[in-house]
Amino acid sequence: MKKNNIILLLSIIGILISFPSQWYPLSLKISLTSLFGANDYVPLPGSEPQESTNTNEAVCPEDLSGWGNKQTIEGIEINESRTCVSDNPFLVAASVLGTNNISNETLSKSGLSSDAIEKGRDLDGDGDPDEIHIKLEIAELNGSSPISDKPVTTYDIAPGIQPGLWVFAPKLAGMAVENFETQVARTSLKIPSPALRVEQGDIVEITIQNTHYMPHTLHLHGADHGFLDENGEGNDGVPIASEMPILPGESRTYNLKPRKAGTMFYHCHVQPHVHVQMGLQGLFIVEENKPNNYLQTMNVGAGKVRVPSQTSKQSYDSEYDIHYMDIDKELSSRIQESNDPRIVTKSMHRDYDITDANVDYFTLNGRSFPYTFRESLIAAESGKKAKLRLVNGGSKGISFHTHGHKFKIIERDGVPLNETQGTPQDVLWVPTSQRYDIELNFTNDGTNSYGPGIWLFHDHQNKGVTTDGIGPGGNISAIVYDEFLDDDGWPISKGMNLNQYFSSDYYDKEIPIWGDIAPEVSSNPKDDIKLIFRLILLAMFFGIFFSCILKLITKGRKK
Amino acid sequence: MSYLKIFILTIFLLSSFSARAQMNHHHDMSDNNGGFVMNENIDRLPNGCEAIRSEKSITVYASKKYATGVPGIVYGMSDYEWNVEPCSKITVTFINEDNVRHMWMIHELPKYLYPAGMFHIEALGGKSQTGTFITPSEDKNYLVHCDMSQHMEMGMRGQIIVGKGSGDLWSVTGITDHLYRASYLPQYIIFFCVLASIFGFILNAKLVKKERKG
Repeated sequence: MKKNNIILLLSIIGILISFPSQWYPLSLKISLTSLFGANDYVPLPGSEPQESTNTNEAVCPEDLSGWGNKQTIEGIEINESRTCVSDNPFLVAASVLGTNNISNETLSKSGLSSDAIEKGRDLDGDGDPDEIHIKLEIAELNGSSPISDKPVTTYDIAPGIQPGLWVFAPKLAGMAVENFETQVARTSLKIPSPALRVEQGDIVEITIQNTHYMPHTLHLHGADHGFLDENGEGNDGVPIASEMPILPGESRTYNLKPRKAGTMFYHCHVQPHVHVQMGLQGLFIVEENKPNNYLQTMNVGAGKVRVPSQTSKQSYDSEYDIHYMDIDKELSSRIQESNDPRIVTKSMHRDYDITDANVDYFTLNGRSFPYTFRESLIAAESGKKAKLRLVNGGSKGISFHTHGHKFKIIERDGVPLNETQGTPQDVLWVPTSQRYDIELNFTNDGTNSYGPGIWLFHDHQNKGVTTDGIGPGGNISAIVYDEFLDDDGWPISKGMNLNQYFSSDYYDKEIPIWGDIAPEVSSNPKDDIKLIFRLILLAMFFGIFFSCILKLITKGRKK
Repeated sequence: MSYLKIFILTIFLLSSFSARAQMNHHHDMSDNNGGFVMNENIDRLPNGCEAIRSEKSITVYASKKYATGVPGIVYGMSDYEWNVEPCSKITVTFINEDNVRHMWMIHELPKYLYPAGMFHIEALGGKSQTGTFITPSEDKNYLVHCDMSQHMEMGMRGQIIVGKGSGDLWSVTGITDHLYRASYLPQYIIFFCVLASIFGFILNAKLVKKERKG
């Protein structure tokens, strides 16, 4: 018993000594200060060493197949694309001529199915085909597999970021992945769904071949189309108003003969609060009827239009389809959590509550920074002009902003605006699903342009320039003048080393910001080893203390 | 003509002096291109001092480079503590090696000599300033700091000890600890503490069992 008391006393002394003085209450600290003065200096823990960023991918992969070059395929002149990564020019040529009007070699190089884009007769005799039949499939990217714990048919919006996605895809021939050895989706399987281009007055058929495991439809938002087609079947894609959804393995054809030109939109209208956000959305562009107007019917993943329309060529030096999206990882991850379609269906349409949702990823033409710098830069030349057809397909508005330029709005939702509304501006609020046609003039006059440089354009809402809260990310891209673009199409920048962003570690929050330029003041602090040791000692004395107290109590009871 | 010129000049000078006097209503300020010294005192004796007992020159460098090697601070000074005699004349040369403004200022000096109890040197980026003050007769520790927002908190905090001083101030860089020191602990610390307390508990229980057996 005596021994227990001694141990109890020792444990109390141990507790008092090992209790960290920095945790004393303020009043005690002050009274101790008046007796002994301030505590001696104990250096704060040092900084963790800065690990070198292992960039495991080429920042600007070499264009080995020369896809970005200006070239002529089957008589179709395909404009140069100055970015690191460019669209497949054979797919562009097939889009222009129709998969039924090209050689087998071009068809094979395009990767399209032989009936993906069929072009028929020239009905008005103006030198271009007016019967257009487009076939779209529905593909899932970054979905789950019963034989793998990793996503399959992968598509990275940013390094290491693979949200589950759905897209209307061009009807392809062959595998969904690049080859047998990889799970990476082939280049024409990407978000957003392809921008479609038809001519005013064309007889257009769009067949949705539902290759997915859930019901879907096609809704032609803003484009002139009948509620019912010629056969009296639903043509608006709305299950609660016009038709039943297209079930997996089934196919339906939508018809239209648009009377008005303009930038429109298309998307799935089955459970749209979920399906549109998953990626089933694309630009639908109706070009003015002009002679010899061979259009690039599909612009896969949006971006630079390699074969612009006659109208565009008359007024602009280049044209870009600009498609913004946002992604909620709480939704997109649901297709990755199970491989059972019943569980996924319930999880997405019953468990997911969009009214409590927040978006995490922000994409421009299907990618977030730094990948946008690879494929979505706008290459500028002083004195020239570009046309942007912009849509916000995200669930939240965007505050579109250009550095170094004031742009003019030409059309809104496919309707021309009068002159006064075309006043130059540098911020444009674009609500969900709204389209704007914008003129960017690269003339250095203090309004249109402030001169050559690397000028960012992005959503000016702060979260829009992040990837799940990590910046720089989101939909940042840039207008880059010729003299600031190297031969590979990479911007000759003067700021931070851009290589560090090409690492999944960066977006995993593993790399301290400014660790490379100011390590002492911004690297993570090390743990306080002395304090850890003290706390473990303290905990041990507490254990001894409690066991002594317990013994005292039990002894007392026995007596 | 020349008379008129002199007349205009005189009026101009007078008016600028009066404006300056208004500006310095509270503080005596000597200003030049590199910054300024406020409330300089080269000859007025504090109460309790019969004469200037000694003279001392101090040179202080300020820059972010003096923060190198001191974890957790951003701005630093070449020294953070100075021991001086009471009733002594201290000439401080403050050399700013950064490209932004810094200050070296003392508080709680006698208000009858130093308005607001302050002696204040401010040097612009890359410039130096020299100023003189006279220490009071009693032993005391005075706070020395830079009053740019967050500069004191991020390292530019020192003390000047007159005579034997009156006890160290808290958070003097390199001299004393923070009054509120952050705890740099890993998340797993709770697990280890629980383990350690169980170990202590069992250790004691075993010891007593042995005692019983014995």
